[in-house]
Amino acid sequence: MYIYLPIAEVSMHIGIIIGLGGGVGFLSGLFGVGGGFLMTPLLIFFGIPPAVAVSTEANQIVASSVSGVLAHMRRGNVDFKMGAILMAGGMIGSTLGVALFSFLRDIGQIDLVIQLSYVVFLGIIGALMLTESLRTIIRSRTPGAARGKLHQHNWLHGLPLKMRFRRSKLYISALLPLAIGAFVGVLAAIMGVGGGFIMVPAMIYLLGMPTSVVVGTSLFQIIFVTANVTLLQSIQTQTVDFLLAGLLLFGAVIGAQFGSRAGAVLRGEQLRGLLALLVLAVCVKIGYDLVVRPEDLLSVELVR
Amino acid sequence: MTGWLAMQRTLAPALIGLAMLVAGPVMAAPKQIVADLSNSRVDITSSYHGTELLLFGAYEGMPGDDIILVVQGPATDIIQRRKAKRAGIWVNVETKIWQQAPSFYHVFATDDLSSITDEQGLGNASVGPLSRGLSFTSGTDDSGNGHGGGTPLSSGAAIAGNPEQQDNLRRNMQANGLWQVLPSSIFTQQDMLFRASLSLPSNIPPGEYSVRVLHFRDGVALSEQATDMNVRKAGLSALIYRFAHDYSALYGIFAIIFAVASGWLAAAAFRRK
Repeated sequence: MYIYLPIAEVSMHIGIIIGLGGGVGFLSGLFGVGGGFLMTPLLIFFGIPPAVAVSTEANQIVASSVSGVLAHMRRGNVDFKMGAILMAGGMIGSTLGVALFSFLRDIGQIDLVIQLSYVVFLGIIGALMLTESLRTIIRSRTPGAARGKLHQHNWLHGLPLKMRFRRSKLYISALLPLAIGAFVGVLAAIMGVGGGFIMVPAMIYLLGMPTSVVVGTSLFQIIFVTANVTLLQSIQTQTVDFLLAGLLLFGAVIGAQFGSRAGAVLRGEQLRGLLALLVLAVCVKIGYDLVVRPEDLLSVELVR
Repeated sequence: MTGWLAMQRTLAPALIGLAMLVAGPVMAAPKQIVADLSNSRVDITSSYHGTELLLFGAYEGMPGDDIILVVQGPATDIIQRRKAKRAGIWVNVETKIWQQAPSFYHVFATDDLSSITDEQGLGNASVGPLSRGLSFTSGTDDSGNGHGGGTPLSSGAAIAGNPEQQDNLRRNMQANGLWQVLPSSIFTQQDMLFRASLSLPSNIPPGEYSVRVLHFRDGVALSEQATDMNVRKAGLSALIYRFAHDYSALYGIFAIIFAVASGWLAAAAFRRK
């Protein structure tokens, strides 16, 4: 059964849409990530216009983040104060990102920028995660290895506007999370992701937050950033496909339940290693498409 | 008489009715061609995945006559981009905007177009998506700095495309299925009746369409008739589309509320288990 998507203006088999939602939902449940970095390229691959894929995915991530953050809130794993600062930065960043998106679309370079962002950021994060998980796996097999300090102090801790974050046990400048939030917000708007895969490492390595609160806090701020992207894209470009988001969501909710059950079987560093391979695979695929000669150098687009 | 009997067995009652109707007037006014569509309105509903329409009609023909049928969509600007390799990757370096080109152009015929008439004959009858002469504005961004940037369009006057550029546009529009030529896709009977099955793709642009039928003899169009066809979004898909465009802020808020509510529901539903 095919379904005509009113905003994307393409017709797609309903099984493919729900299957995509379910498959990506499974992986996101398994690895504890939002899955936007998989879903957006897949939607584009299946013929959804890039602008619609990015905006619609933002809408879907609002739902999956709400669903995910509730469990973390119950366990008290959300630093609301830190989340609020990150969110403030995220709002600024995502607003800039949506404006940048419109501009790049107008000059015909949005596809290129989306692809380059994916290659660069997935490449960096994938490589870092892979080496980190391999190191952990090796270290766990050689007992008695020395542990590093909880977090290092450097010039970033000399910035003004210091604030105390009790839940994260930190006393740092508010400018740092504000800047990180803004940076990830720009990427979220352009790449159609929540940005957790950049936010989480940034919170651990740049801010020095305890790992127990990073995922919950990241999810908390992603809700607001992706909601902002959804609203702004709705107003400026009308590219949020409500029907597509709803169907993806339906699949994702079910897939995530199975994924999180499957994830309980594997160990943390093994999961991170597998996730790293998945991230690198997406990076390589998109990078390959950029360097290989297109079948037809000319392409057309109808002005609606 | 045998022709009449054969026809009664094979054709739909509607067709026969139409043939009877035109049988009289045809005698008085030769060279007439009349046609009708099985449905002059195409609704793009949520379950739309392309559709088939039947076009049927009658003409006063002779052996060797041909019919060409043109389904033309609303005019639109078509952006065409050219990629080139910059710093190892393929990027868009040139943009053309073809002005007021047909968004959809399907040609059906009783034979190959080339054996019906020549370029001149097609041009005289305005058959072909570029028959009315298209022009474009063009701009290059071939500065070679690797990632493009700068203004993609010059503000210069419109330029008409040369044959090679027109072929490129034709190839691109054929690849996405919006421009097609389907030879030998019209079936005639007794040089009097004809029918064609119009297969409309799932990516059909909504808008006002014109359907023209032309009767050709010896390379010249003897007569022509045009009917309108309306392609529009309908039902839920129209509702969502209009909501998104007419009340876009409200639509965005609604999409957010829906997402928050369903995320909440999902968490609650699976927590109880």
